[in-house]
Amino acid sequence: MAIYDGLKAANEHMLEVAKACAVSAAKAPTLTGQLDLKMEILTGEDLEPMIQVLETLGKTSAFQLHDATAFRTYKNEEVLPPVLLLGADLTKPPLWNCGACGFPTCGEYLKYVSKNKGVGIGAYGPSCLWKVIDLGIAGDYACAAAAQNRAEARILFSLGAVSMFLGRLEGCSFVLGLPIGPVGQYRWFDRLPWTKVINYEQRVMTQMAGAPNVFMAFSGGGRPILKTKPRWWEKPTFMKVEQDPAFEEAMANGQAEAYEKIMQFAGVLDFDE
Amino acid sequence: MTRIYINEWPQNSPPDQAKKDNVLLVAKLMVNGALTAPFTGGVPGVEAEIVYGQTEQEKIAREMERLAHQEVPKKLKKPFLYEAAMVRESDAIVFLGNFRARFSPMDAGCGLCGGEPDCSFYYERVPHFNGVPDHTDRKRNTAIQGPLCMLRAHDLAYAVGSALWLASTHFVDAKPCYSVGLAGRNLDICMNSEVVIGILMGVASKNPYADIPNEYHLTNMTQMVDALRKIATVTRQVPNHPYTFFDPTRKTGEQEKED
Repeated sequence: MAIYDGLKAANEHMLEVAKACAVSAAKAPTLTGQLDLKMEILTGEDLEPMIQVLETLGKTSAFQLHDATAFRTYKNEEVLPPVLLLGADLTKPPLWNCGACGFPTCGEYLKYVSKNKGVGIGAYGPSCLWKVIDLGIAGDYACAAAAQNRAEARILFSLGAVSMFLGRLEGCSFVLGLPIGPVGQYRWFDRLPWTKVINYEQRVMTQMAGAPNVFMAFSGGGRPILKTKPRWWEKPTFMKVEQDPAFEEAMANGQAEAYEKIMQFAGVLDFDE
Repeated sequence: MTRIYINEWPQNSPPDQAKKDNVLLVAKLMVNGALTAPFTGGVPGVEAEIVYGQTEQEKIAREMERLAHQEVPKKLKKPFLYEAAMVRESDAIVFLGNFRARFSPMDAGCGLCGGEPDCSFYYERVPHFNGVPDHTDRKRNTAIQGPLCMLRAHDLAYAVGSALWLASTHFVDAKPCYSVGLAGRNLDICMNSEVVIGILMGVASKNPYADIPNEYHLTNMTQMVDALRKIATVTRQVPNHPYTFFDPTRKTGEQEKED
């Protein structure tokens, strides 16, 4: 006989739910039948490198900082959830010659991939549409299994990408990360840890940058005022479109720093370098 | 009191139609699942259309057969023909398309479409004005006109996955098909989407989408039943007899004696 701390037991159970999600993803229907899905479940300290690289990228990018903050907080609270990684090599087409990739035939596509395979902020490409869709269905099945278990979860591009860059799921061109837990409500949406990271002014600026038209006064004059404050007509603010070399440099430096971190975790560089 | 009698046979009879009505309910629920699936940035980009009914399904099947014989590569000919037969044996079809994949990309530099960190692969190959893609240019050189924003296409998969999950939760057999989606799109189903996936739905004792024998487009049950009707009709005309006063199972002479 034993008495368990309910919340602690529930958080420990998330690993079992992660396994159920993996079962579900493996069972997911596909269109090609040739996905060759790869999966891993990361827990505890094995997530530390990913969180650190996300934090580094987060210095210049809000969406990565958003996820880094959540992971760091949950780690500090000792409720760091297990993460199911799902990945596949999406550069192997089923030879349907559908044209969706932008090449007239799969042969032309493969010729291009063999010479020009490259990487963006989170994935290698170009990818075959049908493999992209097959991996998505598998990701969705993992999410649905988490939902059926009433587990908090959110499929993450960010953590999947840094995990792939840190060498997880070798051979995959795209990796998704699905944290399962911590238990509670809205752990990955309306995130409580995020409330302390950006202030009111930054929130207003983000909203305005996302939809300047909403905050715009009469545009017929050709130079509309942006309503940045309650008495917006006094000392008016205007929007200006310009290049920003300082920000560009910060972005490049941030990415270089993240790359350096990845090399350190890979053992190629020492941590004090 | 209302009595609803349900039987999967004969196909398209009122008892089968009653079953199809049940499947239609699930098809509608599947669209709920598709629309609430996880999407990149939560951005809506999925449209859905349900095709239901013998004539409507026949039109889809015929377009698939046209594609099989005239357009798709050889390795897809049989799958397209077999799936056309499955369309006729399905109770309903849910079509899901992503209306952003071709002309409203995520612009995140993810790298999926071309392995570039800046979306240049897409914008160098799609007509656009300062980054606003020209959605009015709908000409196609291939079955699907690429390139596409693969993150948006990835979103479509979540819609399809959640729809499939709901189908299986309700014990409805379902199969997502490129063939059905392509034929549907050609017939203006989910007409805002370049990529459309058709999900076949069937309720039957035997999953209509598994255990497929040779040359299934010619050997499926509809074909077999039709062959039986043809042969049974001809065959009855050979051992025919005036049954009201003659029974060939009894010996000559016996009949008069007993009667």
